[in-house]
Amino acid sequence: MIHVRHRELVVPGQLVAEGDYRLRDGAYREGKQVYSSVVGLAYLQGEDIKIVPLQRPYIPSRGDVVIGVVVDSYHSGWVLDLNSPYTGNLFVSDLLHRKVDLNREDIGKYLGIGDLVAATVKDVDERMRVQLETEGFRKGKVDSGKLIEISPAKVPRVLGRKGSMLKILQESTGCKLIVGQNGRIIVQGEDPHMVNAVVQALLMIEREAHTSGLTDRVRLQLEKLKRRE
Amino acid sequence: MEKPEKLIVDGKRLDGRMPDELRSLRIEAGVLKRADGSAYVELGENKVLAAVYGPREMHPRHDQQPDTAVLRCRYNMAPFSVEDRKRPGPDRRSVEISKVIREALEPVLFLKLYPRSVIDVFIEILQADAGTRTAGINAASVALADAGIPMRDLVSAVAVGKVEDTIVLDLTKEEDQLGTTDMPIAIVPRKQLVTLLQMDGHLTEDEFKRALDLGFRGCAQIYEVQRQALREKYGVKEE
Repeated sequence: MIHVRHRELVVPGQLVAEGDYRLRDGAYREGKQVYSSVVGLAYLQGEDIKIVPLQRPYIPSRGDVVIGVVVDSYHSGWVLDLNSPYTGNLFVSDLLHRKVDLNREDIGKYLGIGDLVAATVKDVDERMRVQLETEGFRKGKVDSGKLIEISPAKVPRVLGRKGSMLKILQESTGCKLIVGQNGRIIVQGEDPHMVNAVVQALLMIEREAHTSGLTDRVRLQLEKLKRRE
Repeated sequence: MEKPEKLIVDGKRLDGRMPDELRSLRIEAGVLKRADGSAYVELGENKVLAAVYGPREMHPRHDQQPDTAVLRCRYNMAPFSVEDRKRPGPDRRSVEISKVIREALEPVLFLKLYPRSVIDVFIEILQADAGTRTAGINAASVALADAGIPMRDLVSAVAVGKVEDTIVLDLTKEEDQLGTTDMPIAIVPRKQLVTLLQMDGHLTEDEFKRALDLGFRGCAQIYEVQRQALREKYGVKEE
């Protein structure tokens, strides 16, 4: 028994369904009944129920791409702010991908406080201590581009289904985006008009994240902004 | 303030309400831009603002709990919220109210999801006219939901009391000061659990039962307004 429509807005404590459903995030069970635990949109897919929250904090999980700000350093690495209740740790060896002799090298030349780093979450333990690494494409210290911060709950809309939204943003403007799951986005591009167009589009996505048909509207918006320059 | 002769005339109260009637209630979610979640509540002459920050890193570090988040509440009355200026800052009364509000909200939150962090709730009373702690709980629970913090249910709260041998809902300042009894209650509406119950004055067993029942009915009305406030933030109007 399902008590809500697909993509219906639900509030905490609202009865969503009764019976044996598989619960993903945003819902909890009490006996046979399934209730929502957040304000969000109910997604019903077969036996799966999930509530996509409209607002949530960023909680690191393994494999996420994040953009961190260096807030502290210690003898063998740095502490990064992740726009989250938890900070991330990045060791020099995970930044440089080689063994580092700490007695010989001063690691201060690689990163300083305030620097931006695009990283991957290597591991999170049960005490929520976060290990980062900069393995992979376009990871590492970020030294150009514009930083945008949006709510982490809205990052999936920036990527779109199978990255469709991201593709539109990048291909129609020629800019490159690094999207962190923690709500930080780096926009890099040669043309400042194009960079601003992407920034406008990102802010629009954040404002209208809970509405449908967003990808088409973003495409139109970008066309308009392009013509205006 | 001049004492009125009677607080209840022909079954009606000084402001024209019936004994089981709430004051006019308005709740708006997401009013503060820089907070993670917020709510504004007007209940009669009460004006209350609640802001939620977090979960965020806990400072001081020694207050962190390794297995769970910590809820911190601050109930504060603005100096201009009452007729005679209130000395600013926490006093015995507001420290106690902060504590009972925290304990009223804690049972609905899934705090275990965010170990080592803290969720801060700030409740500011901008204008007071009796029942500010219950209005504060109503505001705080909407603000927590607005912040996206997972919770089992909202918390709804209302004061009941006895005025001239009549059990009344949602007392005004006059009724609170000149009446016999004031009893604020907070409940988790879906499961009908009481998370706050205080009483100033006396009630017989029978009166207590009637008062509690009246309070539950009042909370049910408030609960609906709270849920509607959350829906309206995202442009969903009443069907």
